[in-house]
Amino acid sequence: MFYIAPSLATALDALGDYGPEGAAFAGGTWIMRAPIRHQLLKARYVAIGKIPELTEIRIGADTIEIGAAVTHAALASALADLPEFTVLAAAAGRSANPAIRGLATIGGNLATSDFSAADCVPALLCLDAQTEVSSRSGRERMRLDTFLKQRSTLAPGRLLTKVVVPRSRAKSAHARLPLRKAGDYPVAIVSLSLDVDTTNHVRAARIAIGSVETVARRWERLETALLGRALDPAQAADIAADLAGEFAGRDSVEVPPWYRVSVLPGLIRRATAAALGT
Amino acid sequence: MVLTLTVNGDHRASVADPVTPLVDVLREEFHLTGAKPVCREGFCGACMVLVNDKPTPSCLMPVALAQGSDIRTVEGLGSGGTLTAIQAALEACDAVQCGMCFPGMVVTLTHLLATSPEATRDEIRAALSGNICRCTGYERIVDATLSALAVK
Ligand SMILES: Cc1cc2nc3c(=O)[nH]c(=O)nc-3n(C[C@H](O)[C@H](O)[C@H](O)COP(=O)(O)OP(=O)(O)OC[C@H]3O[C@@H](n4cnc5c(N)ncnc54)[C@H](O)[C@@H]3O)c2cc1C
Ligand code: FES
Ligand code: FES
Repeated sequence: MFYIAPSLATALDALGDYGPEGAAFAGGTWIMRAPIRHQLLKARYVAIGKIPELTEIRIGADTIEIGAAVTHAALASALADLPEFTVLAAAAGRSANPAIRGLATIGGNLATSDFSAADCVPALLCLDAQTEVSSRSGRERMRLDTFLKQRSTLAPGRLLTKVVVPRSRAKSAHARLPLRKAGDYPVAIVSLSLDVDTTNHVRAARIAIGSVETVARRWERLETALLGRALDPAQAADIAADLAGEFAGRDSVEVPPWYRVSVLPGLIRRATAAALGT
Repeated sequence: MVLTLTVNGDHRASVADPVTPLVDVLREEFHLTGAKPVCREGFCGACMVLVNDKPTPSCLMPVALAQGSDIRTVEGLGSGGTLTAIQAALEACDAVQCGMCFPGMVVTLTHLLATSPEATRDEIRAALSGNICRCTGYERIVDATLSALAVK
């Protein structure tokens, strides 16, 4: 059963009716690979990619609102002229390959709990994004880290509908290390957003690490350690090397766990240099 | 339920399950075997077809979502037995080896030629990051693309 929903209300109704047998079908770039992961497809899907409300990006004075079914390609092109969102434009515009970016959605990237290498998750964590989750009975706003904790147990019938990102004067950057130059999953991801004064001293820092552990998270000890300092990429990398012991890399066939952790200082150096524009 | 598709300008009907990957319907029902299911993961690009002019890995597109779109496979690019500019350039540059990746390469590069007439070597390489070739090392494919762009 494959229902192509024309509107948000019909999608929420269908998901509510299908219950645990149903799921949202966004870009399909994760779902269609279920056979390769030896997973079963759901009995019923509700395609959400043609719902106008979910495919819109609204750029306001204080926030930007991104519909959950916005593709990576559409998001990257909408953000191209907004330097404060460099981190998100890079996450959406450089991940996977061009054809996948034209299909895969931001909502699918955030909602897939088994996917540790998602680029938009750390990017949105460092931008302090909120998510909106809707069902027939209403809408709820929650912080992205709260959504990440809940997503695998999200009740049937609930849909991620929107991502809301505050605007700021911070500088941001996304550094990722795939095994090939492009096209495959990153071993580790550093997304950061730094507010620096005119002498490049750090007033506020948000740094998120993806793909190293099972779920992306903020690196709060490093954020605190950088506060008040003059930002220097080499020094930031040294501090990161001292603190990196708090990460236990996840196991996988591609690389051993320690390798994911060992590349973090280098990625911190690259990301801080990129944020400084050096 | 019968699904109706427009493939290379022809209207076709399919009785496949709606979540069947488009590539399987193209090959098994319509006998258009240009697109190849190699990885079935979106990594290799051998199954690439144009859906409303956009290169799309047909292994990841459920046939139900392809309804109402203009689907074009490598078989439908040239007309009347003539090669397209990129096909001719790839042949002239002797870029093809085993040919497994080529239907997908041609589809991606057809889109590049139509949308990025000024593409540089680096942009061509970036455009091909979802088309894996095991044989050629890519350089002749990129050279052929540059020569096709120069002719236009
Ligand atoms: C070749 C390849 C390379 C890739 N490389 C990268 C990479 O480098 N970086 C990266 O970040 N990603 C990468 N990806 C993964 C890709 O980004 C994810 O597959 C994609 O983000 C999932 O989005 P989708 O819209 O296709 O989701 P779908 O496949 O449609 O859905 C995925 C899951 O999310 C659920 N879901 C979808 N939308 C919602 C919603 N709005 N609310 C609630 N649940 C929802 C679905 O029910 C399903 O369980 C790659 C994928 C491929 C195929
Ligand atoms: S078979 Fe579709 S991308 Fe490899
Ligand atoms: S020519 Fe053999 S895979 Fe490309």
